[in-house]
Amino acid sequence: MEPNSDPVYTDKRHGQHRELFYNYDKTGQFKKTVGFHDEMDRVTLQQAWDLFHERIEEARVKVHEGKVSPIVYYMEKTLVDPLNLSMLAGISLWRVKRHLKPRIFNRLSEKTLKKYASAFNISIEELKNVE
Amino acid sequence: MESGKMMINYEHRQAGHCESGATSNLFNFKGIALSEPMAFGIGNGLYFSYLPFLKLQFAPMISFRNLPNTVFHRSMKYLKVDATVIKKFKDPKESMLRLDQNLQKGIPTGMQVGVFNLTFFPPEYRMHYNMHNIVCFGKEDGVYHISDTVMEHPQILTYDDLVRVRYAKGPFAPKGKMYWINNIDKELDIRSAVAAGIRKTVYEMIKVPFPLIGVKGLRWMAKDLKKWPKKLGNEKASFYLGQILRMSEDFGTGGAGFRYIYGAFLKESGEKFNHLELLEASDMMGKAANRWREFAYIGARNCKNRSQPQEDYGMLANMLVEIAGMEEKVYQKLDKIKL
Repeated sequence: MEPNSDPVYTDKRHGQHRELFYNYDKTGQFKKTVGFHDEMDRVTLQQAWDLFHERIEEARVKVHEGKVSPIVYYMEKTLVDPLNLSMLAGISLWRVKRHLKPRIFNRLSEKTLKKYASAFNISIEELKNVE
Repeated sequence: MESGKMMINYEHRQAGHCESGATSNLFNFKGIALSEPMAFGIGNGLYFSYLPFLKLQFAPMISFRNLPNTVFHRSMKYLKVDATVIKKFKDPKESMLRLDQNLQKGIPTGMQVGVFNLTFFPPEYRMHYNMHNIVCFGKEDGVYHISDTVMEHPQILTYDDLVRVRYAKGPFAPKGKMYWINNIDKELDIRSAVAAGIRKTVYEMIKVPFPLIGVKGLRWMAKDLKKWPKKLGNEKASFYLGQILRMSEDFGTGGAGFRYIYGAFLKESGEKFNHLELLEASDMMGKAANRWREFAYIGARNCKNRSQPQEDYGMLANMLVEIAGMEEKVYQKLDKIKL
């Protein structure tokens, strides 16, 4: 298959942000074009987001079932793992892992909750109640 | 200073790669025309590493670019330009104060930031990717004016947002890193800088004695790619394949994992010094880049139809091996060139 030598959409329907692309044509010139990503690139991006959304939904269900604490849901929502969260919130890793259990999460002090809330950039109320 | 207006007359030009674009724009501000591909090539932007033991967004870490700040740092070093890089600030307030001081002196300042909280960034790219670069060139009523070379136009950020992106956490955390150019002599020795840049890139792509970096890493990845469907199942294999394509095509690369930009660099320097072999190398690089694009086109079909792959993973792996061979020839050719 011969790929399109100018793989750029200039149609507004393909996004709001135009980017700069380079390409190499048959005459041996490197060209710059401003446009949108083509469909193949969007497919791969969409694939990643599908997985993230799936994980978020799974976490939401688990929180409502009372299997995990709301921190798990917000962790999936902001795409961080426990290690990064411990750096963001300034809480040690083993404590973060403990707080993923609902029983321990419910006993947390206001101060610790505030740390998590600011790490996720939300209010404490939102942290406690997953929609 | 609080409500004061500090605007620097800085020209924003869109670019394919964030850091080389920023570097080229900073040079342009100082009155020296250095195109984006030149900054990219001299600063060793080209790279490949495959680190399957590290996971980025649930898939192996694959990088087509060098470590953050390499492009700026090395291009300054090879061009012998007086520039300042401050690697980290402990206190966010101090770093913002330093930025304000710079703006008052009229120095546009580059910064490394994380992408996730960057408010003006396209939402589909907002993942935890900490190697992005922006240039701040003004402050007006507490709002910072930002030139992000991925975007078409200059953008604005509030104080809090800027602190948040400058102190993003995770792998390669920016820690408030900032850099700027102090002084430039009008006579730059571009020829020796190009020679040094090419030598270093060749070293990094074929001579590093570690199997996961450069062309060797590419071959290793091809070998693994063949095994993915059996080892992980079709769904996950296509996600991993998608990671290669995302890294090579989507994240501000200008296409084909920066290979187009590097080819443009070889072409531009070949024309500048009237060097035939460089022009030949640029043609080879352009062809390799076109092959990368083809690989992305064919691979994306497997990502579209995730559970039933349309293309054979073995064929894709062979294609990668072929690309690795094409690239290796370019580097071997560049290795022999005398400038």
